[in-house]
Amino acid sequence: MNPSVELQAWLLLSAALFSTGLFGVLTRKSAIGLLIAIELMVNAVNINFVAFGFARGDHTGQVIALFGIALTVAEVAVGLALAIQMSRNFRSLEIDQAQELNG
Amino acid sequence: MTELLPLPLVILGAPVLAFCLVALTPLRKNGLLAAQVVILLSTLSLIAACVAFFDQLGNPDLRESWTMRWMPMGGAQAEIGWLIDGTSAPMLVVVGLVALCVQVYSVGYLNHEPPHAIGRYFAWQALFVFSMQSLVLAPNLLQLFMGWELVGLCSYLLIGFWWRKPEAAKASVKAFWVTKTADGGLLLGLIVLFSLSGSFGWETGTLSTTELNLITILLLIGVMGKSAQMPLHIWLPDAMQGPTPVSALLHAATMVAAGIFLIVRAWPLFEAAPFTLDVMLWVGAITAFLGACFALVQDDIKKMLAFSTCSQLGYMLAALGAGGMAAGYFHLTTHAFFKALLFLGAGSIIHAMGTNSMKAMGGLFWSMPLTFLLFTVGSLALAGIFPFAGFYSKDMVLESLHHSHNTIPLGLLLAGVALTATYVGRSLFLVFAGRCRTPDAHPHEGPISMLAPMVVLAALTVGAGFMLFEPFYELLGQDASFHWTALGTGGLILSIGAIGFAYYTYRKGPITVFRPISELILSAPLDRAYETAWNRILLVGARGVAWVDRYIIDGAINAIGWVCTLMADRARKLQTGRADHYIGALVGGAVAIILYTVIAYSMWGGAQ
Repeated sequence: MNPSVELQAWLLLSAALFSTGLFGVLTRKSAIGLLIAIELMVNAVNINFVAFGFARGDHTGQVIALFGIALTVAEVAVGLALAIQMSRNFRSLEIDQAQELNG
Repeated sequence: MTELLPLPLVILGAPVLAFCLVALTPLRKNGLLAAQVVILLSTLSLIAACVAFFDQLGNPDLRESWTMRWMPMGGAQAEIGWLIDGTSAPMLVVVGLVALCVQVYSVGYLNHEPPHAIGRYFAWQALFVFSMQSLVLAPNLLQLFMGWELVGLCSYLLIGFWWRKPEAAKASVKAFWVTKTADGGLLLGLIVLFSLSGSFGWETGTLSTTELNLITILLLIGVMGKSAQMPLHIWLPDAMQGPTPVSALLHAATMVAAGIFLIVRAWPLFEAAPFTLDVMLWVGAITAFLGACFALVQDDIKKMLAFSTCSQLGYMLAALGAGGMAAGYFHLTTHAFFKALLFLGAGSIIHAMGTNSMKAMGGLFWSMPLTFLLFTVGSLALAGIFPFAGFYSKDMVLESLHHSHNTIPLGLLLAGVALTATYVGRSLFLVFAGRCRTPDAHPHEGPISMLAPMVVLAALTVGAGFMLFEPFYELLGQDASFHWTALGTGGLILSIGAIGFAYYTYRKGPITVFRPISELILSAPLDRAYETAWNRILLVGARGVAWVDRYIIDGAINAIGWVCTLMADRARKLQTGRADHYIGALVGGAVAIILYTVIAYSMWGGAQ
């Protein structure tokens, strides 16, 4: 197959994944749901990295994608910790319940 | 000793050490110990001053100076340091000696005060000695000005020593205000001097006569405030609210003479300013005459001495104005001794009687013979009776006016001589002659700590005239030997006659013709005029300024604050505290930026 056509296919997949994640972020009320949606968006970015790296013919994209995955792990740890604290303090995981910091 | 440790460091360092020890440590709560520390270190300072003075006597051309850079000002440098020469050396000894006498005297005078008050008093005494000596040692007018302001502060603090008494608190504030107002002139003079000549020194340099007249007139305003010359003398009689030893040291012998010293110090500037010299001559002569008039009608012994001090400072200023720099300076020196003696004597009398009014005294000759003797020595010196010190210096003052052919000022001064002898005689007869007019009083001599300093000052009052006369002129680089002249003899006869006249009025009762004049003087018209001017002009102006400050300036600031608060109140509504709103705003913002970039690129960037 033509490499540029293949790259386009990967990018389309990535865009679809990112949009799904974005939709989730905007519509979910549950903190866990938000985390999953953010995860989708991060992975869409990772796919982009790998795809561009493949198109360039070197390993840079793959290396950055690996860093991205490691970063995501840390982010998930923090996010889950936040979710636990939230359920303790508000007895709920609905994010619109937490609005103490309003002006 | 000079090699190991420079003398000025001892002269200035000892009182600073005393001040720090007393003011900063618990020593101040133990009054007597604090007094001993201060007196010990003042003695050290005096010894160093005497060594410097005798070095100077041995070699009148000696000029021991040291300066260091203090701060850069434009192109020029402001310097601090010290300067011992023929001008500053005698003043060092006068200040050190009178200060020591007064401090010893204060131990006896203030022995009924609580210990912490005595500690406070001696801390300020030490600070005063430092300030005055740094004024005297100053190598330029800027440092002199700093000492000048410090002695003003000490004066304020010491007048207000009994600050619980409302009159004393008011008097200290009044003294501060009047002298500070005058200091405005002095400061302005320094600024003009610096901007025109680029230094704070007293060399005339390339200054023109007009410039010198301007500078010295401004300096003279400060001098008139500090040295209590008409019409800025009003603070000095009120300053008598302070303890009597303070009056002796600050308001008779040294601090008020600082103004005269400034002129002597900056003599090259003043000498070359003929207009200022004329002003000095007239201000001095008028003050000498009117001060003596005012002194004549006072019943308060301290106020009489205060007006007498105004009058004598007027003699000094008049002598300087007539070009007799050495005469004015010599009169300063002898006056410091005999007026300090008189004040200490008055302090003893007040201490014994518990009142200031001479009308309530009388017959003290029998109960206080030694004080009588010492007070009489001081009085005769003040009246200018031979052979006391006052005779010599007053004669030199009169001679200097005679030489410069200023007939009217000379007449005023001669009238002042007669008036001086009259009020001196009046006070002597009122206080010591006859019978005590307070029936239940039991006056007695003070303790030895009060008598000894008076004996020292009396010895100087007797001896300073003929012993110090020639060395003093030599130090100032002028030749002089004393001659009897018609003027001197005339002045002496005038004084003796005036004392006789005082005795006559004492026996016969006051002369009624002069009563309206004395009532006019006692009603203090000048003070009331100042008060009116203060209320009518200054306070009204101040209220106007206060209104502008409160409603225009503060109003603008408040309006800005009010608008900010209002806007912030609206803006805080944006902060909902809900994470989903923030995410929405984040995404919306990102989309907007991307859309803008894409559109902008497709419209302008893509066209190449």
